[in-house]
Amino acid sequence: MRSHSHPFRCYKKPWVLYLLGLLLLLLSWREMASPSSIFIDEVGRKVTFPGPPKRIISLAPNITEILFALGMDEAIVGVTLNCNYPEKAKEKVAVGSYIRVDFERILSLKPDLVIATGAGNTRDMVNRLERLGIPTYVIFPKKFDDVLQSILHLGQLLRREEKALSIIQEMKERKQKVIEKTKSLPRPRVFLQIGESPMVTVGKGSFADDLIRLAGGENIAGEERQMYPRFGREEVLRRSPEVIIISTMNPKGDYDRMISEWNRWKTIYAVKQGRIHLIHSDLIDRPSPRMIDGLEEMARLIHQGPLLRPPEKESK
Amino acid sequence: MKRVTLKKVIVISSLLTLLLLLIVLFSLTVGSVKIKPQQTITIFLHSLMELGEKARDAEEMIILSLRLPRVLLAGLVGAGLSMAGVIFQVLLRNPLADPYILGVSSGSAVGTILAILLGLSTASFGLPVASFTGALLTIGIVFYFGRQNGKIHPNTLLLAGVVTGSFLSAVILFLLSLSQKEELHTILFWLMGDFSFSNFISFRIIFPYILFGFIFLYSRSRHYNLLLLGEEGAIQMGLSVERLKLLSYLSASLITAASVSVCGLIGFVGLIVPHGARTLFGADHRLLLPSSALIGASFLILSDTLARTLLAPVELPVGVITAAFGGPFFIYLLRRRKGVKTL
Repeated sequence: MRSHSHPFRCYKKPWVLYLLGLLLLLLSWREMASPSSIFIDEVGRKVTFPGPPKRIISLAPNITEILFALGMDEAIVGVTLNCNYPEKAKEKVAVGSYIRVDFERILSLKPDLVIATGAGNTRDMVNRLERLGIPTYVIFPKKFDDVLQSILHLGQLLRREEKALSIIQEMKERKQKVIEKTKSLPRPRVFLQIGESPMVTVGKGSFADDLIRLAGGENIAGEERQMYPRFGREEVLRRSPEVIIISTMNPKGDYDRMISEWNRWKTIYAVKQGRIHLIHSDLIDRPSPRMIDGLEEMARLIHQGPLLRPPEKESK
Repeated sequence: MKRVTLKKVIVISSLLTLLLLLIVLFSLTVGSVKIKPQQTITIFLHSLMELGEKARDAEEMIILSLRLPRVLLAGLVGAGLSMAGVIFQVLLRNPLADPYILGVSSGSAVGTILAILLGLSTASFGLPVASFTGALLTIGIVFYFGRQNGKIHPNTLLLAGVVTGSFLSAVILFLLSLSQKEELHTILFWLMGDFSFSNFISFRIIFPYILFGFIFLYSRSRHYNLLLLGEEGAIQMGLSVERLKLLSYLSASLITAASVSVCGLIGFVGLIVPHGARTLFGADHRLLLPSSALIGASFLILSDTLARTLLAPVELPVGVITAAFGGPFFIYLLRRRKGVKTL
């Protein structure tokens, strides 16, 4: 406005200024009167929606977990088929899987806010929701500390900032404790197996890689540029990890067999020491408040010390 | 074979168009969200009357912004692939020919996968443009190697196409082995055929290809009838066979490339619809081309509707439906009409 007023030389005509002032006041009054909120999401998109959201759809399991942790139980009207935690999430309407949603169902639920994630949901999905006129907020955490940020952002978005801050506080304290406890311990070389055939592990930039580091371990694939590199058994043999952790991605997976398969390779240090463990995959690959449980579990498994008996099956 | 008159073409085409309209209407009314047929018709008529955009309720948006573009696009692609199938079958004189036999599909797949891996899929036109480019390059390569002494020999062209296709398949597998989880999902859905992101823009992009393609091919339908009787004969009748084959190859390939670029690889339609139409209405291209196009449109719309409703909210790849339902139906047609001369 100011830059426009100069060429018009309105300083000579005070009434113009009055009018302008009145106009500005009117405009700002309208802004104040309409309770719509404007937010910039984690991928830099502008998200506008009227008032505090009352009908929210979550497009990923970790978002659902954050929403429940923030106490938004009532406002959640839709989740994905992959949302299995907390139990109550399974009672909500599923709008598809997180990689593929049913837009008809989303529209019919009349949401006033959809929350998506940059890791998992596609750009196409978000574009399409935008075109359908549904406000969509995208979170995109990439490391453990980003998860805290995302929880805070969603807390601000949903007017649950205090709750968010207390969750974050607790997570920070527990993380600090893990770091302090493991600081003076040696850093074992860890192989985290997240897929059986092909054998897939976690590389640079993945959450699990961050967790291994925070838990005081050394990821043997931590320098791989791919986020989820495929590793042959030979490569694992060569790098001879001191701890092997198998993530239970597949509920039908035969983990006893996978452990006994590893036990054939006695040249691997972890096998010799009986350091093969299982970890619940939801705790390490979901950027949600439960990730802190994953971190503590990871630290426990990594620093358990050499076992003389054969590896026991971790029940989780 | 019974004589095909203009009257017969018009009558059969009108009947098939009526069937197509009924299927369109049916597909608009069914989906994972239940909307009554009367409401669908009201919403549809309303939108025809007032073209202006206004605030719309959920039902209206579901029908007009989600189902309508999808149904229209599936119709166009179905018609396009079926026409292309008819042409490839007569051009290569091979009943196994389909729009993908000369490698167009593999070419566009390589284009698409590269675009996904390079992150171009975030731009709204990234994938269709990459896919179309890949297809065009393949058409060029196959055409270059498929000719002998400047002439198109069906078998040489076929071999060039199949070999190029298998080379590109190797490239596809190589690229797949490099890709990560999320990219893999996008790629797999594309390879299986996917209408879930249809919009009016893609409809507008491919409409000219299908329309002008049809007009051109239909105007040559008598020539295809001659070609069917043998190349020598056609030449003696004064037909410039080489020109016809060249133009037909190019236009059928372009139709295929355009169709594939907006929805990925939808198999089976371009193979069985032409055969189905041939068993029903005979091999005269004046009737075969329009009837294949109309049946193809109906068939793909119906398949896509099943794909999105059978296991809702989970959506099946449309290719699963085209093969699972189209295959047995085609066998039934074959057995019922044993006596009819096919290709």
